[in-house]
Amino acid sequence: MSFKMNRRQFGGMMGSAAALSTLASVGAFAQGGAVRLIWWGNPERDKRTLAVVDAFAAAGNGEVIPETYAWGDYWQKLATMAAGGSLPDVLQMDYRYIFEWARRGQLEALDGYFGNEIDVSDYDPNQLQGGVVDGKTYGISLGANSMTHVYNKTVLDSIGYQLPDSTKWTTEDFVNIGKELKGQLPEGMAFTENMGSQEPRLQTWVRSRGKDLYSAEGELAFDVQDVIDYFEYWKMMQDEGLTQPADVQAQDSGKMEERMHVIGKSLVGFIHSNQLVGNQQLMKDEVELVMIPNAGDKPGQYMKPSMFFSMSANAADKAAAAKFISYFVSDPDANDILLIERGVTADASIRERITPGLTPTEQKIISYLNMVNTWVGALPPPPPANAGEIDRALRPAWEAVAFGQTSPKDGATAWYDDAARILKR
Amino acid sequence: MAASSNTGGGRTAPSPEGRFARALRLNGPGYLFLLPWLIGFFGLTLGPTLASLYLSFTDYDLLTSPRWTGLENYEYAFFHDRRLGNAMSVTFTYVLWSVPLKLTVALLLAMVLDRSVRGVAFYRATFYLPSLLGASVAIAVLWRQLFGADGLINQILFMVSGFKGPAWITHPDYALSTLIVLAIWQFGSPMIIFLAGLRQIPQDLYEASSMDGASGWRQFWKITLPLLAPVIFFNLVLQTIEGFKAFTQAYIVSGGLGGPVDSTLFYSLYLYIEAFANFRMGYASALAWILLVIIAIFTAIAFGTSKYWVYYEDESR
Repeated sequence: MSFKMNRRQFGGMMGSAAALSTLASVGAFAQGGAVRLIWWGNPERDKRTLAVVDAFAAAGNGEVIPETYAWGDYWQKLATMAAGGSLPDVLQMDYRYIFEWARRGQLEALDGYFGNEIDVSDYDPNQLQGGVVDGKTYGISLGANSMTHVYNKTVLDSIGYQLPDSTKWTTEDFVNIGKELKGQLPEGMAFTENMGSQEPRLQTWVRSRGKDLYSAEGELAFDVQDVIDYFEYWKMMQDEGLTQPADVQAQDSGKMEERMHVIGKSLVGFIHSNQLVGNQQLMKDEVELVMIPNAGDKPGQYMKPSMFFSMSANAADKAAAAKFISYFVSDPDANDILLIERGVTADASIRERITPGLTPTEQKIISYLNMVNTWVGALPPPPPANAGEIDRALRPAWEAVAFGQTSPKDGATAWYDDAARILKR
Repeated sequence: MAASSNTGGGRTAPSPEGRFARALRLNGPGYLFLLPWLIGFFGLTLGPTLASLYLSFTDYDLLTSPRWTGLENYEYAFFHDRRLGNAMSVTFTYVLWSVPLKLTVALLLAMVLDRSVRGVAFYRATFYLPSLLGASVAIAVLWRQLFGADGLINQILFMVSGFKGPAWITHPDYALSTLIVLAIWQFGSPMIIFLAGLRQIPQDLYEASSMDGASGWRQFWKITLPLLAPVIFFNLVLQTIEGFKAFTQAYIVSGGLGGPVDSTLFYSLYLYIEAFANFRMGYASALAWILLVIIAIFTAIAFGTSKYWVYYEDESR
């Protein structure tokens, strides 16, 4: 070949080749012993988690590279990383997704590490069971949790009103209390947040009637009439003025700082028990937890693992990842920092150790879960793959009813048909 | 070289290899300078575009590898997806209202700012500012506050008229209109282009016509509009494409839900939800290609009709 190159061209080629090789190495920088960790959270959770990461390194256990996102962005980010083969080594998982991710081969079974790298000897076996998929453990519960109603205690105390025993109250009692309190509440505050669009609230509704949202086979396990009743109930609450009008309620897009009870537009709201810490921080008034009123004679609520730590099936250094998971769930120093922000730990000795030092707000969560424990039903089977989409479809369906575009019966039927169709897709 | 032997004495044609090597020697450095763009285009634009065309014929959830399903995605989109029908109608409503209104506002302000008033540069910058900020997350968040139930708009409304307004942004009857207003407010970039266009119109045309006694209104219809037609056409095409692609405002203002009652579920927002919330990458890719075809059709219509209303000075008719 008569291809000649002068010095300047050669230099240019070399330069660009060097630039290319740098590009190629970018993807590999994270290797070399460090454990990559990813979680969803809030500022408070991030602060505590980062402190544990530092403590882990300070104790000479090695480096952890942390990464965090808000709930909504987290699952997109995680799926994209999985598609690109760059999943972090340790992932925070939710009960809603852990089955799907385990069955698609993205997660590492942890049973082999128990007794070796991972110490769960003091763990409540029931809580460990929550992370079992097809006989193998794919996630370790970071804490127990239950859904709950929360109310503004400061306001209710100033009125001098005493709520009845919430382990026994019904949805009818709830309406009557609302009617009694109407007119006594501060200006602009309604009795309750409108929960027509909240899928977990609907779940407690159907469970208290002895049903559930989904069967173990992943089919709808409730009837269209249950949803019709549910929509009619919340439409009646709205028409009675016990909730805010639909357009005000619709301003809540799911963020804690937009919730009706947080911004003083309702007395009662719906949260999960571990969210109380974040909830209380956003409010001047004191809030308190009560159980969710039932629409039938069966227990509507259940205890669930709030979240898990799982390991990626492609983790670079699996022993190191397992060591970090173990440190996170069972090391006293780590849990002195974490406390119960992720839920009440299932490790008995840790729970004993940290309980006395908890703030009054955190104590409320513990006593609430102790109370709830005897009134809950069994953990439901994991939701099917498209359950998230059905959950999201509930909101526009309910809103069409709330804004009077359709009747509760038609709106409920449309959503029910939609849900059945989504499951088949 | 063997290639040179078969040329019987005339000019020496370089061999294929020789020509290639020569071209590389001459243009090599040029291509090297182009390399960043070439890598960007092939790696980041063309590659993913072609990949999405392939994915649009598959069922792909990111976690497992894509499964070929043929035309199933397109069939579902055309015949079964009711939510897509709604997203289409929301997007068309948005484009049909926001584009003409935005262009009108942009043209009017450009004509006002075309005069040589003291400090006109400052006004121009001020009017352009919303467009710099407009597509940003911060403005969308601000919009959410302004048009909320207790927002500034309602407070002013209440002070002026004693009327207690709804939460504009979260009421299905008004939510889309609020987003259209937000779009119109970002008239800056078409306004700048109109300004440049107005500068191109020869002043002697106006002078001659006013000597003939033409009113300002008549001058606008007979001189300004016809001579501005190419610029209007350019802005129309650009803004229509922008309109179909609208995403950020609806995403932020509705909290990513397209609510209330799907009233702000723009096409691209629905596409995004299908891809990144429901993890149907295959279906979302099909939606993206359908959107591309829709935009192409509208652009083609604009180009097709342009010969009837767009006049270029250098063409003779």
